[in-house]
Amino acid sequence: MVHLNSELLAGHALGQDDALDAEQRDHLTGCAQCRAELDEYLRVVTLSQETEAPTTPVPAMDRIWRSIQAEVSTPPSVEREQPVQTLSADSVPLRVEAEDAANIGSGEKPITDRRRKWWAVVAAAAALGLVVGAGATVIINRNRVEVAASVPLSALPGHTGHGTAELLQGRDDPELRVSVEAPLPQDRYREVWLINSDGKRMYSLGVLPPSGSGTYPLPALLGNGLEGFTIVDVSIEPYDGNPEHSRDSQVRGSLPE
Amino acid sequence: MTEGDPADTEMKRPRVDWRNATDADLAAGFADGDDACLEESFQRWGSLIYSIAYRALDSSSEAEDVTQQVFVGAWQARANYQESKGSLPGWLLGIARHRIADRQRARGRDLRLVRAVTSEANVQVKQEPLATLIDRLVLADEIQRLPDPRGVILRMAFWEGQSYSQIAEQLELPLGTVKSHSRRALRQLRARLEEVTSWST
Repeated sequence: MVHLNSELLAGHALGQDDALDAEQRDHLTGCAQCRAELDEYLRVVTLSQETEAPTTPVPAMDRIWRSIQAEVSTPPSVEREQPVQTLSADSVPLRVEAEDAANIGSGEKPITDRRRKWWAVVAAAAALGLVVGAGATVIINRNRVEVAASVPLSALPGHTGHGTAELLQGRDDPELRVSVEAPLPQDRYREVWLINSDGKRMYSLGVLPPSGSGTYPLPALLGNGLEGFTIVDVSIEPYDGNPEHSRDSQVRGSLPE
Repeated sequence: MTEGDPADTEMKRPRVDWRNATDADLAAGFADGDDACLEESFQRWGSLIYSIAYRALDSSSEAEDVTQQVFVGAWQARANYQESKGSLPGWLLGIARHRIADRQRARGRDLRLVRAVTSEANVQVKQEPLATLIDRLVLADEIQRLPDPRGVILRMAFWEGQSYSQIAEQLELPLGTVKSHSRRALRQLRARLEEVTSWST
């Protein structure tokens, strides 16, 4: 027998006695597929009967709308905090992406223009001490940094190039120095990630500057060891405003645990 | 939105009245950065999201915070919106679910700390799963939006507990018509529920 149509099942779920005849009721007893669809309708009926639409206080909605307006009308020159759902060790690239996303949203600006603005934000962040770059390395050297581990980064299939990742242990928190020599398409940037050996969790350490090398403080969350976050991964990222890993990894290496 | 608002004249793009736009058109305008679409989206789904947050967190101030964060967050990340992944309300509800769950987790941590200190290991917090709460409020919201006579029939049947013949009598409609309207309304509800809760994050 053919399956019961949705109209019949909906009627049955609504308690309309005449919705199904004897033969159809028989079919329903033996047919898992129709039974499953009926169950969905029954669930909708039960949930609907239990819940009347709540009334939302109008003053609250007005207040919320005013605060939304206040937030979204922030002048573009001011850095916005971007709420992010992915784990991130360093807020800089994410803020940058918020800025970038806004540009994409407006859709008019050529890539080069976006890119300049984008790096301007990085530069500003660096000036504020948020990015550990060349200047910071000098300070680290003064603090007699030890290279605790140095591992090669090798190109993944479909990519060329190589690099190194060095675990630095100084007076302060551990840091990771990454340098990569590999071609980079003009409309892309590179990002450095720490991936857990469980293959499920990762941190973004931050953007790799166009020079190909950067130093990144390791997430405080890691505690004393790397807690399994041993894979250093450098990805090629499009300027799409998406904070997630592009799944296009260029080079990769493994730190000793 | 207020007509003739002085801010309107400063807008570069032509002002579109989004009130009668379909969800899909509104989503496209939203992703394109038209801030009138942000306002219309808030009009359509702001109170639903507030209600969900309020029931889940049992705090009006936290519910206000969450609602604000959902819309501001969605607006800032609008370039990530993909129509192929789901509807705009589905996306907003997905963000809301994460925000609420974050707060619930944070409370769970607080609670565990309290328990660790007071050794009240037996304290149980019984709460409906967030997904069910969302389904429940999405349905209630949708029933209110159903066009009449479908809407009024379903409200009388579900919320006032009236029989089909009582409804038919009151609305002066044939019994068969009332029944078929309610069947169609139920199918619509199920489809809508699937549409707004199936955003793949």
